[in-house]
Amino acid sequence: MRRLSNWLLGGFISVYALFVLVPIVWLAIGSLKTRFQSLRSPPTLIFQPTFEAFQKVLAGGVGHVFGNSVTIAGINVMLALLLGIPAAYALSRMRRPARKNLAFWVLSIRLAPAFGLVIPLYAFIRGIGLIDTLGAVVVAHMTITLPLAIWLMMSYFDDLPVDIEEAAIIDGASRLGVLWWVIIPLSGPMIVAVALLVFVFSWNEFLFAFILTSSEAQTVPALIASLAGTMNFDWPLMSAISVTALLPAFIVILFAQRAITEGLTMGAVK
Amino acid sequence: MVSFARRSARFPGVFLAPAIITLAAIVLFPTAYLLYLSFRHWVVTRPEKYFSGLANYGLVLGSSTFWHSAATTAVFVAASCLVTLVLGLALAVALNRRFRGRGVIRALVVLPLLIPPVVAGFTWRFLLNREIGMLGSWILPSLGLNASMLADPNLAMVSIVIADVWSRTSFMFLILIAALQSIDMSLYEAARIDGASSRQEFTFITLPLLVPAIIVGLIFRAIEAVNVFDLIYVMTQGGPGTATQTLSLYGWRVAFTSFDIGRGAAIAVVMVIFAIIGTTLLSRRVLR
Amino acid sequence: MGGSVDGTLAHNEFVTKQLHTDPAWKGFRLMSRSLRYLLAIVALAVIALGAAQTRINVISFSQGFAFPDLFGSSGTEKSDRLLAFEKENNIVVNMEWGDESAVRQKVLTDLISGTGRYDVILLGTDGAVQTYGYAGFLEPLNAYLESGDFDAWFDLEDIYPSIIEANTVEGNVYGMSYYAFGPGMVYRTDIFDRYDVEVPTTMVEFEAAMAKLKAGLAADGISDVYPLTMRAGPGEEPSLDVTGFVYAYAGYPAWFEGGAATVEDIKANKAQPDFTGAFRPGFEAFVRLAREYGPPGIATHTWVDMMNLYSQGKAVVLFPSAINAYAGIGSTELAEVRDNSAFAAVPVGPSGKQVQSFWSFSFGINAASRNKDDAMKVLALLTGHDALQAFADMTVWPAAPYASVMRSDTLINRYGEEEVLLNEEAMRDSETHYFPYIPELADFMFQIGTATSQAVSTGDVTRALADLQKWAVETMTAAGYYR
Repeated sequence: MRRLSNWLLGGFISVYALFVLVPIVWLAIGSLKTRFQSLRSPPTLIFQPTFEAFQKVLAGGVGHVFGNSVTIAGINVMLALLLGIPAAYALSRMRRPARKNLAFWVLSIRLAPAFGLVIPLYAFIRGIGLIDTLGAVVVAHMTITLPLAIWLMMSYFDDLPVDIEEAAIIDGASRLGVLWWVIIPLSGPMIVAVALLVFVFSWNEFLFAFILTSSEAQTVPALIASLAGTMNFDWPLMSAISVTALLPAFIVILFAQRAITEGLTMGAVK
Repeated sequence: MVSFARRSARFPGVFLAPAIITLAAIVLFPTAYLLYLSFRHWVVTRPEKYFSGLANYGLVLGSSTFWHSAATTAVFVAASCLVTLVLGLALAVALNRRFRGRGVIRALVVLPLLIPPVVAGFTWRFLLNREIGMLGSWILPSLGLNASMLADPNLAMVSIVIADVWSRTSFMFLILIAALQSIDMSLYEAARIDGASSRQEFTFITLPLLVPAIIVGLIFRAIEAVNVFDLIYVMTQGGPGTATQTLSLYGWRVAFTSFDIGRGAAIAVVMVIFAIIGTTLLSRRVLR
Repeated sequence: MGGSVDGTLAHNEFVTKQLHTDPAWKGFRLMSRSLRYLLAIVALAVIALGAAQTRINVISFSQGFAFPDLFGSSGTEKSDRLLAFEKENNIVVNMEWGDESAVRQKVLTDLISGTGRYDVILLGTDGAVQTYGYAGFLEPLNAYLESGDFDAWFDLEDIYPSIIEANTVEGNVYGMSYYAFGPGMVYRTDIFDRYDVEVPTTMVEFEAAMAKLKAGLAADGISDVYPLTMRAGPGEEPSLDVTGFVYAYAGYPAWFEGGAATVEDIKANKAQPDFTGAFRPGFEAFVRLAREYGPPGIATHTWVDMMNLYSQGKAVVLFPSAINAYAGIGSTELAEVRDNSAFAAVPVGPSGKQVQSFWSFSFGINAASRNKDDAMKVLALLTGHDALQAFADMTVWPAAPYASVMRSDTLINRYGEEEVLLNEEAMRDSETHYFPYIPELADFMFQIGTATSQAVSTGDVTRALADLQKWAVETMTAAGYYR
């Protein structure tokens, strides 16, 4: 029985891995073609590869755009964790009625669709003079990443048994101490997962980043979109940038995997 | 227990205050402004701007295009959530066991998350293109599918669901696997001693303990799916015709092509209200 | 990172305040303080540097493609000519690029909020010029043009009148063209010869030619070459062409009863939309041609797809927006496409009028700009004679708004005098107002295009037009035309 289910799951993983890989491979292949080649009908898998797309990437000075994306995403992670974990913990342990309202309010912020917020957000950011700054994009992203972090951590804390906290408090620990020495070590995997999700959301977010920036604070998705325009559909260039964006991120993920496993062993020692 | 309750009342304000203040500061103004806009008549091409009460809401709720978009959104959200849940769950369970190369497979599974939806949309649009895409012009026709995935109204919906699933299953996977890994091992040991099969373990231990995480995941996925914009815009622009025009795209059109800002704002507010109702029903359990 | 100074300052200030109470965060506070000082110094330096010159912000799409003589092939390197201009006029030109729909979005957000962020903005004559013009977002250029100050840049005699007309709304000139095109038909002479097809001059002949091509290709077992490539993607994509058909089949812009095509006419006659009436024949013809003779995915095709198909040698005829074929010829790697393409005047419809398709890539000045005079100078640089000649030299497209550029050696050498004159005729003799110039134009173009896409994909013309009519009546009534 166990062997059959192993085989099934193994097969499923293989199929899914293929599903994930096909577009990525297509992207990678695309980055090695010339524009004309990329538009062949039907498409060719065997062709003369060229690095001209990557050359354009390197020549185009996209380093600072990547830097922007990393900075914005990084700040988002820091703030989401810094502000979100204490808030989530408080919400999780609070008495019932007050918590219900607050928690709900926190979540409902995330509900507004992007198009609804574009004009108000633009007017607001313009009003405080932050157009085309990293701060503007951080602020815009925080409206989504902070509630996300709070909500995820809160539901995780809900399931953490209170015995250890109780024991620590009886021993005279402050709430901050409990948070720092008990809760956070126990939440390793979840914190890493949340940090990852926040980073990724910020990294990928396109609409606000595009509307609120021009050249100084431009992010990677905005750059890609500006190149994949209707006027000059440069598929290889877009693919090259996407591939370049992927590589460091892929490495980061590989490390995060290890962190999750390590966090797991920590969590097992209760 | 009583002393604990009294102690738990003494949470330093600095725990919640920073988060609440930040959110209030950066969200309150835009949302208030959005609400304000929805009560005004403001069409960019017309000089008159005035307070119009619930007129915009009346126009929105009375418009058949709105309800058509709502139906399209419902189909998209349901399909996408269901598929990502099933796939995410299967992946979480499968990748919870130890095997060689697990780290690499996990990294691979998470990979689509790193690709901005804009790029994912372009890539899938390219792949499915009937004339120049590897899938659309080569593989699918050779399997017998001759219609264009993006030009046929029904297949276009399938296409965007596939792209969305590709892009967002990793999210569901991450939530579920974190929850899966925090399940106490001793429960399984006890069950095994009692002679439970792996399927029984799954049904009676794993699944019930995963329900909170599943609900959280579904809520977030659903909200995200309702608000999906970049992906669909880039793949089909809401087309062909209006076959994939979800509320997000419809609202965008009203605000930025018909230039009716007031009505666009009203659509956004209506969407939020729908979402609040939906998530309240779903999350009654979690907010226990 | 210079531009983020103020934001980071405020941001640091805020975070620091929150952590002020907790002694554990002293280190963080110290760090942010020195960071603050550093940033203040940088800020002062930046302000000092930027103070002297006027900054003019321009936004456009086609990075690396448009303005090669000013911004290089990457779009980011300022050429010597541009630098000289900047020095002479004490202006810094800040160019922002983006994808077409995204740029339009940004322009719209800026115009709606009245923030005056962009001084010189990209416009199209298929909605932006009209809608923004009526809404008062654009600065009329008449005074500048008539003042004589810009004669060195613009020779008003040299520009085709139709171009100025296309950029004019109720007497106000709102844009200057960078390139423009009229209708035409580009076809593969070798394939026409192979199947013994003659160049059609009426739409009836055109359909016959299509049928002959289709039969011939099928007989030869060729299944991946299509007689026709057009665009029918949703949104405003196909509208220029579809409305051109409508014009040719009805003989006038058949959008409203009686052919009313201006705000005054519609209001005076209370002319209701006529989409299920006189609009239908041209619409139906377009849909029929697309479905029968176009590629399967045509209901999703943008002009890019249309162009690609032709440049890949997979289509025999591209029409009526022939300029896209020239783009395709320019980028093709297939000799048979490059050497066997020819231009023909577009056929006439049943009414005796030609099928229309006219568009201009124009630039205008934001009415909320704080530096309009300087913006005009930049506009003159961008759309003056030299810029247009450089564009023509680079792309070799017969799409120049200036007669002198159109007839310049570059184009004549490439296409021969006859073809150049045909293109000129198409642009010069275009009926640029073949659709109504009303404030709601952008919205109508979007809606008509979507209806086209729907009809092409489902085949149901009646339903698409019925929906369109209903929407039009609602929109026009709400806009107050029939009070």
